[in-house]
Amino acid sequence: MPRWLRHTLLTVVPVIAAAALLPLGYSNQLLLFNFVVFLTLAQGVNVIYGFTGYLPFGYVGFFGAGAYGFSLCVLHLHMAPLAALGVGAAAAILLGLLLTPLLRLSGAYFAIANLAASLAVYQVVSNPNLENITKGPYGISLSGVFNPTLAYSVAVLILAATLGLAVYLRNSRFGLSLQAIREDAISASMAGIDVVRSRTLAWLLSALVAGLSGGVFAWYVSVFYPETVFSPEFSIFAIVFALFGGVATVTGPILGVIILYGIYNAIGISTPQYFQLLYGLLIMGLVLFLPNGLVSLFKRWGIDVP
Amino acid sequence: MMRKLSVALFVTLFAVCSGAAQAAAAPSQIKIGTLYAASGNFAAISMPVHRGLQLWVDQKNAEGGVFVKPYNKKIPIKLIAYDDQSNTATAATLYNQLITQDKVDILVSDSGSPLTSVAVPIARDHKMLLIDQTGTGAAFFTKDNPYIVLMSDPVSSIWPKYIADFLTQDGPKLGIKRIALLYATNDFTGTQANAVRGFIKAAKAPVEIVYDQGVPTTTTSYTVIINNIRAANPDAVITLGFPNNDISYLRNLQDSGVKFKWQFNIYPGLETEGLKKTVGAKGLEYIFTYVPSSVIEYKPEFGMSLPQFRDAWHKKYTDDKVEFGFNSVAGYTTGLVLENALKATASMEQLALRKAIFSLSGKLKTIDGTFELDETGAQIGEITPLGQIVPEGKDELKFVVVYPHDKASGKPVYPAK
Amino acid sequence: MLEYSLLAGLVFGLYFCLVGLGLNLVFGVMRIVNLAHGDFLMLGAFGAFWLFNLSGLNPVWSVFIMLAVFTALGLPLYYLLVPRLQRAKDPEMLSIILFFGLSQVIEALATIVFGPSERSIPGRVFGSGPVSLLGQSLPAAWIASAIASGVAVLFIYLYLYRTRLGYLTRAVMVHREEALATGIDVDRVSAIAFGIGIALAAIAGVFAPFMLGSVTPAMGPDINIQSFAVIVVGSLGNPLGTILGGIVYGISLAFMQSYFSSWANLLPYVLLIFILLVRPSGLLGRQVRSA
Repeated sequence: MPRWLRHTLLTVVPVIAAAALLPLGYSNQLLLFNFVVFLTLAQGVNVIYGFTGYLPFGYVGFFGAGAYGFSLCVLHLHMAPLAALGVGAAAAILLGLLLTPLLRLSGAYFAIANLAASLAVYQVVSNPNLENITKGPYGISLSGVFNPTLAYSVAVLILAATLGLAVYLRNSRFGLSLQAIREDAISASMAGIDVVRSRTLAWLLSALVAGLSGGVFAWYVSVFYPETVFSPEFSIFAIVFALFGGVATVTGPILGVIILYGIYNAIGISTPQYFQLLYGLLIMGLVLFLPNGLVSLFKRWGIDVP
Repeated sequence: MMRKLSVALFVTLFAVCSGAAQAAAAPSQIKIGTLYAASGNFAAISMPVHRGLQLWVDQKNAEGGVFVKPYNKKIPIKLIAYDDQSNTATAATLYNQLITQDKVDILVSDSGSPLTSVAVPIARDHKMLLIDQTGTGAAFFTKDNPYIVLMSDPVSSIWPKYIADFLTQDGPKLGIKRIALLYATNDFTGTQANAVRGFIKAAKAPVEIVYDQGVPTTTTSYTVIINNIRAANPDAVITLGFPNNDISYLRNLQDSGVKFKWQFNIYPGLETEGLKKTVGAKGLEYIFTYVPSSVIEYKPEFGMSLPQFRDAWHKKYTDDKVEFGFNSVAGYTTGLVLENALKATASMEQLALRKAIFSLSGKLKTIDGTFELDETGAQIGEITPLGQIVPEGKDELKFVVVYPHDKASGKPVYPAK
Repeated sequence: MLEYSLLAGLVFGLYFCLVGLGLNLVFGVMRIVNLAHGDFLMLGAFGAFWLFNLSGLNPVWSVFIMLAVFTALGLPLYYLLVPRLQRAKDPEMLSIILFFGLSQVIEALATIVFGPSERSIPGRVFGSGPVSLLGQSLPAAWIASAIASGVAVLFIYLYLYRTRLGYLTRAVMVHREEALATGIDVDRVSAIAFGIGIALAAIAGVFAPFMLGSVTPAMGPDINIQSFAVIVVGSLGNPLGTILGGIVYGISLAFMQSYFSSWANLLPYVLLIFILLVRPSGLLGRQVRSA
């Protein structure tokens, strides 16, 4: 069996099957939907951070761009949701193109500049001077296309495609060349890898993933304020989840979301009082004691993780 | 004998059966589900509301529960409350959790518009009536959605009516011609600014807006802006912002030595105790503000009066971490409305509850004023009058209601001293 | 309007030097991004608030208490977190996440202890009424904060350029590995810099109630992004560049508020991205770009 097929069978198939079947037996569909969104976003972070080494601290900018691209098409052009989703994705890619110069920055500089960029987009979208276009700070209401069941199915499809992308990167020359750039950009370029083209492609792919998620999130939630879809917590959650599981693998971010977002919801629902405290301590412990993620444990035991 | 016995037995059996049937029909508790933000940006407004509601629940439970008409008896309340940490995505999941997993009988939103917004479509989708506490966003209320009612604050597009009425009707007589409008660019205060503009325009009075600027809600420094407003030479300044905005603005105003002849802010009235501590009593003198239910003594026909409520609050919450104020009254008002609705409702069906709540409109007079709804479920009663804070003795403040005239308790001091 | 914006912006910007200074020192010495910087500032503010309420202590004295307390807190915190972090593959990147976690912990603890409401210290402790400066009147507290900021910058300058420890600190800033190889106790030097860094944040916090109106446990992230703008504009990793960054930030903010007030919040972000792209080393500073 080829490696990519084994990886698909071990990761993509069970996750998608679970996402598709769980709503039949469990009625808090929104919780499942948020799991699907974070599974997708964590893989999107994996594409740019795991394989390329750029930490997208303002990843939510693409998510918000997708949400607004989607919503504005529905509001102003009365587009069908699926077509509007395409526009949402295009908006995220456009923002990605606009931000490609940031890729020239390295390390923390990139992370901070990306954070600033996402906040700048938020400030523009929520400015009351643009009320006629974006509804400014007054928020979006899309009651006309509200259809959570369909939105959930589409979100699962987006997750499937994203997981497929991660499997591809894990098993292809392109994925390897991205990792080579991450380790040492100069050697990679001497080995004949087009550094700028490859990392730009990875950047836009991860923007696309977030744009699609943002669009489908807007569709599902249907009433929201700009601060909802531009909340920095989306970036931070997606990054922490991906890192906890272990990046540059397909399994890592999946494990990260299932375990950490699972714990998040479990403590949120049972002992809300010390919620933030426990969560902060958990994140600190993770970085100090398991900096390469859960999957590094498996690797240490000599198990090949998809 | 035998016959008598069998009749007695039959009667006893019947009584036992029907008694059991009745007990099964009446639940052991009424589940009210709600969210609060213990941390993050909305914690400062969410916690007082939540504690206000909690106080009502504890009071009712101490009396053996709340009277529920369909079961014709008092039933204890179980308040199921989760912390959404001011995160709207988390809030959405938790609202759904309350509906689908905890199967609450009554769904109460967190306070403030952003954390309420995500609940609106969820409640509608599950056909649950959303008891909206202080989410005043005008967009929530539409004619095609019966599953929302606003409890404790007037909808943002109505709230500032008395400010505009005062300036356009009494203003010209006092010599007010030039108005400056400064607002924080969020839904709550942006909508109020739009409303002020609209009311002033519609009045066709001899007043004009000479300064009209929005600032980001995170603005913390107003010294430069105050200087710019002064340059526009206004007779009256309306400043609409959140508590952090009002605190910074009023402190900067005091520190920079600028004195406007007529100055309005929202929170000196709504969160007086908090602002007295942060701005200082001196900085609040002669400020015009909403005279809220936590200060003005409405004669409540139902529930505690203001002094009673304040005493109960300070007795219950001795940690002094959450300020008593308008928002605490709002949470308590939610409880009072629910109590009356449960007393009147025909069944525990959501639309029956809605009908019961609507039947209170215009009739229920609480600590928060007269509860009144429009057809979409938006609150149009409980409008806070316009008042002015005046010094009383040393370091004490007093509210003088100046508008509307039928509620007025004194004359405005203009220009402010 | 123009003169006033310029002067008020300058004074406000001087305060922002103090806000960014500690963050820049920590980044310069350790190459770690202290995302809990804003939360240490918040703790300093609540410390001063608490001391004032408890004993009416003037915030000027709180400055010294905060300096002592937070330097003392910084040393063990450094040894607890940083050496372990430095052993990881990409400490600079992981530091962002580690300190985000710390920031959550601090915010949570502060909320539990102080409650979520806005808190402040009355403005009168710095004398009531405005101070006249160059024909313009400014709040007295602003002048006090600007002076405190100047003193702090002077202190850091003297420390870095006039003491032996400062000399070693600069050696670590230039090249950590080489400093290690030449036998400098890098951990000791760094721990002290970390202590000073968070103490500077706490001192900035003492003035926060006066400069920002009020403080809440949730204020940290907002402070962080403004601090980043300040230090990136000045020069990331060069503490003294922070002065320039603060002044540029303060004056631009005042101009934005005067002429495009609703867009004023866009400023730190645009300034930050612009400087990083056009002159990534900051207005005074060294190379940071890769390819």
